[in-house]
Amino acid sequence: MIEVARCLVRYRGLVWTLVLRELRARYRGSVLGFLWSLINPLLLLAVYSFVFSQILPRDVVSAEPYGVFLVTGLFPWIWVSTSLLEGCSSLTGNSALIRKAVFPVEVLPAVAVVANLVHFLLALPIVAVALILSRLLGYPIAGWTFVLLPVVLLIEVVMVAGLVFALSAVNVHFKDVRDLLGNVLVLAFFMAPIIYTLSDIPPGLAQVVQLNPFTSFTVAIQDLLFFGRLPVTGDWLVMAAIAAASWALGAGLFSRLSDTLAEAV
Amino acid sequence: MPGPAVVLRGVGKRYRREAGGYRLRTLKSALLEGSLTSGLGAADAVEALEDVSFEVAAGEAVGVIGGNGSGKSTLIKLVAGLLRPTAGELAVNGRVAALIELGAGFHPEISGRENIFINGALLGLSRRRIEERYDDIVEFAGLADFIEEPIKNYSSGMYVRLGFSVAIHTDPEILLVDEVLAVGDEEFVHRCITRIEEHLAGGGTLLFVSHSMGLVEELCDRAVWLDQGRTRSIGAPRRVIDAYLEDVAKREGEAHDRRRALDVQQEQESQPEEEEEAAVTAPAAEEEILRWGSGQARIVGARLLAGNSSEERYHVHCGEAVAFELQVEPREDLDDFVFGVGVKTPRGVDCWGTNTDLAGYEPRLLRGPVRVRLVCPELRLAPGEYTVDLAVHARDGRAYDYRRRALRFTVAESSALRSIGLYLPDHEWQVEALRGGSADGAAKPPAAIDWLVPRDPRRME
Repeated sequence: MIEVARCLVRYRGLVWTLVLRELRARYRGSVLGFLWSLINPLLLLAVYSFVFSQILPRDVVSAEPYGVFLVTGLFPWIWVSTSLLEGCSSLTGNSALIRKAVFPVEVLPAVAVVANLVHFLLALPIVAVALILSRLLGYPIAGWTFVLLPVVLLIEVVMVAGLVFALSAVNVHFKDVRDLLGNVLVLAFFMAPIIYTLSDIPPGLAQVVQLNPFTSFTVAIQDLLFFGRLPVTGDWLVMAAIAAASWALGAGLFSRLSDTLAEAV
Repeated sequence: MPGPAVVLRGVGKRYRREAGGYRLRTLKSALLEGSLTSGLGAADAVEALEDVSFEVAAGEAVGVIGGNGSGKSTLIKLVAGLLRPTAGELAVNGRVAALIELGAGFHPEISGRENIFINGALLGLSRRRIEERYDDIVEFAGLADFIEEPIKNYSSGMYVRLGFSVAIHTDPEILLVDEVLAVGDEEFVHRCITRIEEHLAGGGTLLFVSHSMGLVEELCDRAVWLDQGRTRSIGAPRRVIDAYLEDVAKREGEAHDRRRALDVQQEQESQPEEEEEAAVTAPAAEEEILRWGSGQARIVGARLLAGNSSEERYHVHCGEAVAFELQVEPREDLDDFVFGVGVKTPRGVDCWGTNTDLAGYEPRLLRGPVRVRLVCPELRLAPGEYTVDLAVHARDGRAYDYRRRALRFTVAESSALRSIGLYLPDHEWQVEALRGGSADGAAKPPAAIDWLVPRDPRRME
């Protein structure tokens, strides 16, 4: 576990170079280019806002304004889910590279996580504008608590990276992982308080939702950005424990399998 | 005394067969033992290399030859660190650059410039070092005009050139080359070979996999012949290559004999009266038989000599003096023998051929080994690739030893003498006016030089 972390620190230059490659290549050839990092989440937001305020009864969710609440949960989720999906196939998708070039394989899953984190960070100005506008319109939301956002993100990066290491390594042996993951992520999305708050659902169900490892991160970010309050100590401990366990599992599994990856991939 | 750069002791490599579907078991053994094959029996695994032992001294160049599937690429990948041996010990001392698949890390959507930095980083170069080398890399690849283009628009040759250029500029101590020179054009291949020679001259080590026996002989101090994962022979390149080519020719000859025996048998069964005709036409109809004959005399060596110093060469210039040399060993005394040389294109078009009988020589006695030379003071073949068939046969055409494509050489392109076809005689163009330009006939016709002017005055001289 430590070796994987050490390797990533040592090859941070390579990770960053490959992240830039991903970012540059993604929108090459499209007219709007980098703007898509902003437009994509906005369009998705528009769809969700429309569905959950117009089609479904809108008095279900207590948070107001709903669109802004949605942003604070949805944008981090997009980062997490695309990181997991891309990271899962980061080894199988680069099999030519792994078979032909001698370099630390650890960087590939890390690149998937970091590249998507950069996309999320680029979309943060939208969140900021939405929060400021809401304040100006008189909604009693947000506050200086947002300065703690980097701390939550740091813990969440560790958790997501751990999962990506585990998924990518097992995906080399069982390509089924990727398809399964897509469906698990849909379930995880609805089982996390992203389109609703925990207080909007029956208490029994809320307990189930809290078993979802992504729930505590989602709630923490919503607290810091939307509700303008600090997560309690217990929340921080739960997040740290989830991140540590995820990293131990993922990095441990990965370093056990890394010797045989070039051959199996 | 520098230590060895690469040491292999009893190295073996097993691959698992994927068709068996032991996914859970291989994952389990990969997790528990760090190996994909430990849980597998002989039927589920393939031995790609077995008990390979040799050393490559620092500064030495070693060529690896062998047929397809003999384990050459596995060997290179083991030394590169891409694979781990499943048996034996492997030690590599020095910074390695593996030219295996060039440009493996290239991203098609982004420019050549950006790809140089990414590929360099993958190969372990720091950004500063790449910046220092950037101009050299672009110049060596010959891509200055296209470096800002996304490389999906590159031709495959440009792609490989860029990959080679980045890899060679990583300053390796040990260079591993696996058959990558087969893709570039001739000029680039020459540049690569020059670069590899510079690497060797600077004390670098080379492990070189190639099907080009000429290159192995040219570049390497020793050769290793791998056959089905085992070392058949290690030693001086000429000796190992000869042994290998002989083995290939022997196997093909045996296959040819078997096919021919079968053909003859079938002919006899179906049409006994046409037996003779069938036997006579057999050799020409077969594909890729490189050697045949009774063996009463054998061609044991062949070289193409060129230039004033009569050195052995693979490239000659149009109009240069060349000699085709055969070493012939008769098994018994012969009084009926003809030496023949035939020059062909790789597609088999006869360009020129002759033999001692056609040239009017009478055989007297062939006793003991001899060296025979066909000397041409001026070989006027057009630029291109040629192969040479060599033969010793009886006057009625029965082959003692016929070696198809015994030699291969190229005639170098020359900008001053461009033409199409196979033959390039000395020539010049002349234009002459047929009739005077004016009605009274007083005006003299203009000189031909006014109509047709040499672009480069030297070309006409």
